[in-house]
Amino acid sequence: MIDFIQMIVSGIAVGSSYALMGLAMVIIYKTSEVPNFAQGEMALISSFFAMMLLTSFHLSVYLAFFFTLVFAVLLGCFLEFAILRRAKEPNVLGMIVITIGIEMILLGFVSWKFGAEQKTMPFPIGPYDSLIIRDIFISKLEVLTLVAALLLMIVLFLFFKFTKLGLAMKATQQNRVAAQIVGIRTNRILMITWGISSLVGAVAGLLISPTIMHPYMMWDPMLKGFAAAVMGGMTSLPGAVVAAYLLGIIENLFGGYVSIEFKTVVAFVIIVLVLCIRPSGLFARHYVKKV
Amino acid sequence: MKKKLLLTLFVFFAILLSFTPDLFAEEGVTDTEIHLGQWGPQSGPAAAWGNVARGTGDYFKWINDNGGIHGRKIVYHMFDDGYNPAKTKAGVKELQEGTGIFAWACGVGTSPGLSVRDYLAKRNVPWVGPAAGSMHWVNPPQKNLFAVYPLYVGEAKALVKYAIETMGKKRVAIAYLNDEYGKNGLRGALAELKAHGLKAVAQVSMEAKDSDLKPHVMKLRKAKPDMVLMWTTVPHSARIVGISKAMKFAPQFMSTSTTSDFPFMMHITKGLWEGVITATLGELPESGYPLLNKYKKEVFDTYAAKGERWGVFYYAGIIFTEPMIEGLKRCGRDLTRENFITAMESISGFKGIGPEVSYKPYNKNDMYSRQGASQTFLLQCLAGGKAKRLTDWMDIK
Repeated sequence: MIDFIQMIVSGIAVGSSYALMGLAMVIIYKTSEVPNFAQGEMALISSFFAMMLLTSFHLSVYLAFFFTLVFAVLLGCFLEFAILRRAKEPNVLGMIVITIGIEMILLGFVSWKFGAEQKTMPFPIGPYDSLIIRDIFISKLEVLTLVAALLLMIVLFLFFKFTKLGLAMKATQQNRVAAQIVGIRTNRILMITWGISSLVGAVAGLLISPTIMHPYMMWDPMLKGFAAAVMGGMTSLPGAVVAAYLLGIIENLFGGYVSIEFKTVVAFVIIVLVLCIRPSGLFARHYVKKV
Repeated sequence: MKKKLLLTLFVFFAILLSFTPDLFAEEGVTDTEIHLGQWGPQSGPAAAWGNVARGTGDYFKWINDNGGIHGRKIVYHMFDDGYNPAKTKAGVKELQEGTGIFAWACGVGTSPGLSVRDYLAKRNVPWVGPAAGSMHWVNPPQKNLFAVYPLYVGEAKALVKYAIETMGKKRVAIAYLNDEYGKNGLRGALAELKAHGLKAVAQVSMEAKDSDLKPHVMKLRKAKPDMVLMWTTVPHSARIVGISKAMKFAPQFMSTSTTSDFPFMMHITKGLWEGVITATLGELPESGYPLLNKYKKEVFDTYAAKGERWGVFYYAGIIFTEPMIEGLKRCGRDLTRENFITAMESISGFKGIGPEVSYKPYNKNDMYSRQGASQTFLLQCLAGGKAKRLTDWMDIK
């Protein structure tokens, strides 16, 4: 029984970083219907930026993180403004290819600038400092990630539901032309969306970096975050978060009780199943356009 | 008509003569140059071992600046394969068929190496010192392939033997990477356990891209081992030790020589590597070994890039290529692949900064005709990344 509870707890713990990446992907998808495959590398470059501030400029962790989040927002805005907006007659496939291109460029830049050797980021909480309650353990860093994911989900949910900007983002996604007619500057909305998404991704990157940093560190969380976003319906923020935790738990239970060798592929089997059985995801409403 | 024919013949022979030196020279060798190649992960999950290829490069620069080899300078072609066998194969083919490489040095990784082993064998291109202790290089032995790295199977046997006979451990669990590298370690450990009438209490495999290792550590903990042998990548090993610490699971950890760069391991585990026992393949940085000191001063201090670290991964790039340089020297000016292979076969009891290296004339039934080194020693990580030598060089055949 202890093992079972531990697997659930470990699943929730690992699900938090998937949730953050899933949230970041959903934010962009909600407004532009483009899955952003550069999400992981945007978080990666922000994390290495923080590392540079800490080690080369010797800033305090809090100051470095603050500047990193500002950098992340600017980076997201810049990528949308300088690259995606320039795409001529964009369609979804073209935009996806552009995001893959951005991913490669950012990955190459990080490898060139910061080197590929593994590092760890200095952080007030050690990556392996843990809380143990009746033989069940969870690391303090994972608790922090869990809190960050839930807080961000709530803030973003409220933001999209109750603020003018949030509603403008929703309107842009649902009907861009109509949104423009009612005076919404859709280009600016898209830019801000990329900025916010980049910030959420950067939080994930910063919380992974104290454990290990290398240019490929965001691949697994990004893929799992994407899987969670698909499972949750791509447009639902709570859906992506709940799906991310479910994914983490399923992976852990599968690894514990079925096969540790195939634990990694469970996420992708789930994507296939969800897309076959419920293409709109587990938590999103399926809109059908009337003609 | 006659004039035209003579002119055509003249042009034909002129063109033929202009190509003559290349037509009759060995591939990758000119009057002034020897082209040697290497792949190495400068990115990806095995990037921690990327300094092997950089160490070799600096060693070659040092040789060139000291006169080269019989009047020829080494031209070193190194590329980043990211520990991805598909990239290794593409890069090797491109360099071999495009530039023309005389011989290949080192090359990190069992799987990347396996992707080009048969290709190089088919072309009889010499390959010396694959930077992995796999049985695949020498079982069966190949005429063109000279292994230096002590076999993982032997390393694993040495570690398990030490755990059982010296430390009195009885319950051994094994965490291994689900590829040929990991399985080589697993085979050695299981064989040694069997020799002592024991079985592994757990065998837990992981994929190179796995980043959540809690389920793996839980499986290990459940088996209640008193020793866990890790045959994984550097980040995996760091995570296993870290998660175990978080779970208050504290067996004796042992690991392969690929994690024996203690200052680096201490850095990425934030000090948790202390106490881990590993095998190793070279003299220790602080040992005061004269040749190692010479390399530190004349190779590392002179040629290493800014930010490079003097450690076992870096000078492993020298260990694996010292016998190759010895072979090239023994060839004299008459450098052909056949002469080089014969020269390599004549190496016996060669001692650089790694284990003793000996080869024999090719014998398809004797893997030690191509497995040059079969020695390792064990060390334990101390505070500050210092190493305590636990054994002397041991023969691990």
